[in-house]
Amino acid sequence: MRLAFWLYEGTALHGISRVTNSMKGVHTVYHAPQGDDYITATYTMLERTPQFPALSISVVRGRDLAQGVSRLPTTLQQVDHHYHPELIVIAPSCSTALLQEDLHQLAAHSGVPNERLMVYALNPFRVSENEAADGLFTELVKRYAVSQKQTAAPSVNILGFTSLGFHLRANLTSIIRMLQTLGITVNVVAPWGSSIEDLGRLPAAWLNIAPYREIGVNAAAYLEETFAMPSLCEAPIGVEPTMAWLRSLLEKLNAIGAELGVPSLTMPNLNAFSLDGLSAPSGVPWFARTADMESFSNKKAFVFGDATHTVGIVKFLHDELGMQIIGAGTYLEQHADWVRKELEGYLPGALMVTDRFQDVAKVIEDEMPDLVCGTQMERHSCRKLDVPCMVVCPPTHIENHLLGYYPFFGFAGADVIADRVYLSCKLGLEKHLIDFFGDAGLEYEESASSEEVPVSPSDSNKEVSQTGVPVTSEPPVLPEDGEMKWTDEAEIMLKKVPFFVRKKVRKNTENFAHGIGEPVITVDVFRKAKESLGG
Amino acid sequence: MMQVPGDIQIIKEDNVTHSFCGLACVGWMYQKIKDSFFLILGTHTCAHFLQNALGMMIFAKPRFGIALMEEGDLSKNEPTLQEIISEIKADHHPSVIFLLSSCTPEVMKVDFKGLAHHLSTPEVPVLFVPASGLVYNFTQAEDSVLAALVPFCPEAPAGEKKVVFLGSVNDSTADDLRAEAEELGIPVGGFLPESRFDKMPAIGPDTVLAPIQPYLSRVAVKLARERGCSVLHSLFPFGPDGTRAFWEDLAREFGITIDLRDREKAAWEKIRKQTDLLKGKKVFLTADTMMELPLARFLHNAGADVVECSSAYIIKKFHARELEALDGVRVVEQPNFHRQLEDVRRIKPDLIVTSLMTANPFVGNGFVVKWSMEFMLMPIHSWSGVISLANLFVSPLQRRSKLPAFDEKVWLEGVMPSAQ
Repeated sequence: MRLAFWLYEGTALHGISRVTNSMKGVHTVYHAPQGDDYITATYTMLERTPQFPALSISVVRGRDLAQGVSRLPTTLQQVDHHYHPELIVIAPSCSTALLQEDLHQLAAHSGVPNERLMVYALNPFRVSENEAADGLFTELVKRYAVSQKQTAAPSVNILGFTSLGFHLRANLTSIIRMLQTLGITVNVVAPWGSSIEDLGRLPAAWLNIAPYREIGVNAAAYLEETFAMPSLCEAPIGVEPTMAWLRSLLEKLNAIGAELGVPSLTMPNLNAFSLDGLSAPSGVPWFARTADMESFSNKKAFVFGDATHTVGIVKFLHDELGMQIIGAGTYLEQHADWVRKELEGYLPGALMVTDRFQDVAKVIEDEMPDLVCGTQMERHSCRKLDVPCMVVCPPTHIENHLLGYYPFFGFAGADVIADRVYLSCKLGLEKHLIDFFGDAGLEYEESASSEEVPVSPSDSNKEVSQTGVPVTSEPPVLPEDGEMKWTDEAEIMLKKVPFFVRKKVRKNTENFAHGIGEPVITVDVFRKAKESLGG
Repeated sequence: MMQVPGDIQIIKEDNVTHSFCGLACVGWMYQKIKDSFFLILGTHTCAHFLQNALGMMIFAKPRFGIALMEEGDLSKNEPTLQEIISEIKADHHPSVIFLLSSCTPEVMKVDFKGLAHHLSTPEVPVLFVPASGLVYNFTQAEDSVLAALVPFCPEAPAGEKKVVFLGSVNDSTADDLRAEAEELGIPVGGFLPESRFDKMPAIGPDTVLAPIQPYLSRVAVKLARERGCSVLHSLFPFGPDGTRAFWEDLAREFGITIDLRDREKAAWEKIRKQTDLLKGKKVFLTADTMMELPLARFLHNAGADVVECSSAYIIKKFHARELEALDGVRVVEQPNFHRQLEDVRRIKPDLIVTSLMTANPFVGNGFVVKWSMEFMLMPIHSWSGVISLANLFVSPLQRRSKLPAFDEKVWLEGVMPSAQ
């Protein structure tokens, strides 16, 4: 038992519904109390689905439990009658898992033919969102993929793209554009937009692309084992990884082509990958070398997220933008070993593995990085601390479900990530100017407005919930400054530091004082800290 | 089918709609009772639900949290919450902690009453709030919270005849209601709930309890039984029609005869533009917040054609006046959503009032919708709420007429590949 306010991963049921909501002709019936229906809202609100997600609840009420009634058979009949799905996936929730009902038997009572039913009864207390989604997807692939003749021309499947995935559409578009440029056909994209028949056709492709560590890699492994289809499991995040990804793709396809006597694919001029076909495919290599990016070599970044993006973003910031990585972590314990291996040599310390956002917030507060790449939760934590933050992976906020083309994959993705880093961080020359001379006139405004607090009904008090419903909240609570005492003179000296870095300087100075065993921050201690920290 | 007084037929479908469970009440209750903490004994599902529904509130150091039951906790007879309670007290210093049940511990038959009693101290009581989705609709958990507060309402002495308004509304709405009552000569005893735990209103045998939200029947019954107070049975104070009936009936309880006909007429006049637009419009309410009956009654009296008014639960006695006023309207309890979907496609309503789960898909099917939850978050009570109430129905209709024509074949392509 522990007190939780917020969790990184969703439930098993959420993972299952992400897969089935991606697919055509597949309906999920969740055997659950009324409250589990909130998962429907995650699709209709975050993805703004113009149709009803294929999710129905076989509701369990207290009265039903008392009377020993199960609505599962009738719900299955109703779903079959109204929506005619090709497959109904039946899943329990936390509370119904405890009832120890025989879902297979209850489902059989519905009269819906067994071949159109699939009971996917995970232990929701043990399995979470990603594992459930990946597990179900793999099961579906095993159930429907059949041996068949390969396509005549080079073709690939794209696996693991799943409803509510991070920048899902844009990433898919980015990959498909690169494949088109190379003259490679997409056989099936799954589960996103695929039907059961499409799963049957998977083995017709030459190769599987499965860029997400969380969902799809196991299905690709099964297809490799059973149908001898090679797979490409790297994520093309960043310019160099994208080039390596393209080379590897061609190499693997050409090896098959050689056996089949199909002419080799060749790497075109790189400008073929640009939007206009005439330019460099990415602006990042030049951008990273420009003088105004020089200041980024001193910038310290902290990355926390799922497995795929934590690895991809750490490498990108370090290898392509030349930033310093002061730490990284993941909330996916089951992938921690993989992340550790991938990031060997990149991290100054151990990989952080936790599903408690408070622990992550604590690290950010102690380190005060120049940039945090994280989830929606880190965005919240950083806002309290006034630390620049960009969201790089799920869980996301409705603000991450935008209309524009913002991939993280491929050349275009490298540009998007670099732009976000640039916009998130405090700038170069402009920053020097402000740091050196003070406040750009903003100090005056700050002290004027700070006298008016605490009641300032600013826009920041009105937040938007994850599903987009406006909700009023209390004003953000500022972090406490700790117990360290400052003399009046030291406070005056601190006031001379530009206000937007003041919080960070205060924290760093306190850490320094603590480290040298000074209980009170005097002008002298503050000066020592400045000397020692180079502030 | 069953009959209720006044010969109104309620169709009972005993099925399920798309809606939230009672835990959602935390979202407004913790903000209303400012010195409280809401602790849910629940699972990963409860936590994931709350962070999706109330996502951002973590940002503001919310006074709610989940005592998270993990696999190892399932085999324990009694959940051990003492440490968590201490943590909450140290971090939040609440005056009261509400302990909410959820589905999993209810299936496990956790003795919540005993647990809450055991955790309570004279300084910080821990109050059990039954809120699980096994039994309650999402607004009904407020009913449970208020019922838990009853022992903390002082006894009003016999002869102290005052109104206590029942239901949480924001402070400005509360001020309006109080001022209106005082103007009519009705002494006000307060609100249940007030915004602080130590300020709950006195309730006694001569208190008149005036419910201002339609989902609070259990606490009303409990107070009538335990304190002997009387409960106003009127329309709920929404719209000119409901507001007039509410104040006239309430005044009558205090021996005051008032005639608010002119006031009602003036209020209708103020929203004439809106009601002109609503006249003859087919409106379908799918069931979500339990505010459906009074909303449908307002629409009905405003001249709209309410083609279906569905609600999760209909409490015959508590809702009697609203049901009477809905004579001739199709009223469904615990509707079957699959059936509703077919009816909607056949009837083609002009406006659908529906939950967050179903709103966008109805729009995708060519309909105009209004989120039902918005009626809970907007000041729509009494005279001052009339315009807001009317506008909530009218704005989606007006907005739609301002947007250009929409060819769904073009503009919905690829939006939801699984549906194509």
